[in-house]
Amino acid sequence: MISDVVITGMGAVTPIGDSVESFWQSNLSGTSGLRLEDEMDLSDLPCGWVIGVIPDAVKRSIKERWGGRSMGDALTRAAVEQALEDARFEQPLARNAGLIWVKSCPASGSSPLEYENHMKHQAERYRAAGDDAAAVVEYIRAHSSPPTLAESSNIPAEISKRLGVPVLASRIEATCAGGLRAIAEAARLLKSGKVDFVIVTAAVIRRTHYVLSQYGQLMALSRWKDPPTQASMPFDKRRSGMVMSEAAGALVLETMDHAKARGVEEVHAVLGGWGLAVDTAHVTAPRIEMIERVMRTALANSEASIEDVDTINAHGTSTRLNDISEARALHNVFGERMAELDVCAVKSLTGHGSGASGIIEIIVAALTLCRGVVPPVVTCTEPDPECNVKTHLVPAERPIRTVLKNSFGFGGQYASMIFRRPANPRQHRSYDVSTLSDDRANARSKLS
Amino acid sequence: MSHTVITGTGVISAAGVGASRILHAMASNEYLFSGGPADNEDAERLPWPMAKVNPADVTWPQHDAWWINNQKFANLAAHWAVAAASEALRTARSADAEDAERSGVIMALASGEEDGVKIIPRLAALAQTDPRPLATLLYEEVPDYSYVRGIPSQTGQFIAKVSGFRGSNVAVYGEASAGGLAAMSLALRLLESGELDRVMVVGVAPPLSPAALAALDRSDVLGTEAAGGRGPFDINRRGPLVGQASAAIALERKDSAQRRGVAPLAELVCCEAICGATLAQAVSAAVELVLSEADGPPDVWWAHGCGSVSTDGVECQAVGASIRPTTTSTKGTIGSAFECAGLIDVAVAVEALNREVIPPVGLLRNPDRALGDFDFVRDEPRQAPRLRNALITALGHPSSAATSAGAALITRNGAQR
Repeated sequence: MISDVVITGMGAVTPIGDSVESFWQSNLSGTSGLRLEDEMDLSDLPCGWVIGVIPDAVKRSIKERWGGRSMGDALTRAAVEQALEDARFEQPLARNAGLIWVKSCPASGSSPLEYENHMKHQAERYRAAGDDAAAVVEYIRAHSSPPTLAESSNIPAEISKRLGVPVLASRIEATCAGGLRAIAEAARLLKSGKVDFVIVTAAVIRRTHYVLSQYGQLMALSRWKDPPTQASMPFDKRRSGMVMSEAAGALVLETMDHAKARGVEEVHAVLGGWGLAVDTAHVTAPRIEMIERVMRTALANSEASIEDVDTINAHGTSTRLNDISEARALHNVFGERMAELDVCAVKSLTGHGSGASGIIEIIVAALTLCRGVVPPVVTCTEPDPECNVKTHLVPAERPIRTVLKNSFGFGGQYASMIFRRPANPRQHRSYDVSTLSDDRANARSKLS
Repeated sequence: MSHTVITGTGVISAAGVGASRILHAMASNEYLFSGGPADNEDAERLPWPMAKVNPADVTWPQHDAWWINNQKFANLAAHWAVAAASEALRTARSADAEDAERSGVIMALASGEEDGVKIIPRLAALAQTDPRPLATLLYEEVPDYSYVRGIPSQTGQFIAKVSGFRGSNVAVYGEASAGGLAAMSLALRLLESGELDRVMVVGVAPPLSPAALAALDRSDVLGTEAAGGRGPFDINRRGPLVGQASAAIALERKDSAQRRGVAPLAELVCCEAICGATLAQAVSAAVELVLSEADGPPDVWWAHGCGSVSTDGVECQAVGASIRPTTTSTKGTIGSAFECAGLIDVAVAVEALNREVIPPVGLLRNPDRALGDFDFVRDEPRQAPRLRNALITALGHPSSAATSAGAALITRNGAQR
């Protein structure tokens, strides 16, 4: 019998905080990470002029510290290292570990400048070789800058080295539900008994002319023209679309028994059950019955009733269709309880970081459980009566036992997951490094 | 011990439609490569010969209006994936309404570069003189849904439609040739956890762009000659030969297959994909893990064996440390088809187990004895009446970033066909 799957470590690099603690404080204070995009001329696009950006100084610092083949890899390493430290990880692990990771960082660049340089190179090559395949190869061979494989990354090998053991690794993609899907894969891996320790991480950084223009074509982005900090307003009647965002997050998942054997008694959250589904009716539009289905499945798999759930950590993208669909599904599932269920929507401050959003929003869910505070949705100042969900403009403090988290995505992706407050929730404190050595020695002796 | 069986396979390759076509091509030493320096009729004039899929072998369902309306969301990879999955469903059968939610899809492919390769270089040149801001130019000139078409799991939604498998859909990508077995390992966990009863695993290796081929060539030199003596494990091998393909494996819990009255083709004992600090460590760990769940040593090793000067050695050293079974490989016949390579090998190994035959390694003439004392099958097929188990391995394309390897063990124990 495998013991509970628990979150023992968390790491975050987001537009509103480069650590879990700073990210959480920004969530409580309603500090926005959204701003007008000023490095690309987007003035002719019909939407998407606002973006959630990790501050340049943070990126520079992370790149200097972690290097890597790309900014995406550096962000991944930074988030993973935070999570390992938070989990009080120390080599050696007794067995193979797991790694389930998500990365959306185009090979053509992850920033406006990188993309412009990519396009310059493409133009030079096109002028020299046109569409002639052999000439393209000759051109590439003759030029010094080596082409890189789009998916090339050192991350699994680096994490294997960092953990000191081989890792059962899979890089997955499930559009904007990728974060929750990754956690489900990690939990299955733990429950298989083949590993006791899994890192789940996601990094999304794709702030380019191409990506913005393509989401613009889909008319999925916010058309808000007033203060950019208000551009993402889940469940507000003025909402007009989502805001693209950069983010990276990481979690350490392990079995409770393994955590205890390492000397880690206090954990962030206990994973309950989940519901996953695929809809084939439409490529991009959400459907109420599918959202309802995954939430009901998550509750059933957690052996939880609707009365057990204290708060909803919504997908809440700020698009007209997503928010109304999610709200109606919530009403269908929770009925009259919706009047008392607090709903939080992290994308109101960060924007939408695709698969990484699922991870960083689960960090908020875990802290909500441990600290008994539901963050506000400060941009929802004119709640949409059609959504009729209960959001707050200030943090709502009260005991929280269970959180339901939703994530949905293009391609008919639906995921819902339950997290519970652990018996020994992680207390808010910084570990004194000098006191860790004894704990770690004890943990090692238990593991051996 | 797993309780998972293989109930259907579908492969589209240079050999045609079906795993049996590959087995036949290997057995009869067919030559399926075209292009490369020796081919004067090749219009592309690329330096590398390739085993190409015949477009006529890729069929798209015509029975449903939904498909017609949604082809705009389907790139070439999606078409190939649907064709392979449809083939696997011929024996495994689609899901009906009752089991749809307990059936899922796992894709293995790289993110689609198709539209970008065709369009972006021309637009990049245009942007040098066009007065429009770059974002505006791309907004106006890139064809609709180009971005959506390139999303890997988007292809999985098409598989969900054609199969009726709607319980889960996730794509594994970026693992190159280890990706197919990585996808299968996720599928196995979905089934063994009891979460789902059936999973369709689909891998796709569509035509690569010249830029992608050049990048692969730079990380590990690709073979420029598809000729006798240039195949896997040969002392004169000169690098992997590239292939195109799509492959689908229908996996199912044994009790579900029994309930539905579908006879299994084989049993999947174990499958794992592992990354190590080095590729050698990854192969060793994957093989060790898989063999730890086996009753005994495998009867045949279906090696990754891609013809790489370096990787063939790494693979043989890692596997040879524990076993020295009879060895074969598909890649001298149909080339290295990256994300679906492992799935193709599983499908062909299933076919071989049921026919009790081990086909020879294509283009292998003089085994490289430095690889170890392996019993490489060459020249002609070998009858193997007691053939029951096969070990399959798949490795990432060698580069400083690729340290992933997958391994699977299948057996025909319990198979009834």
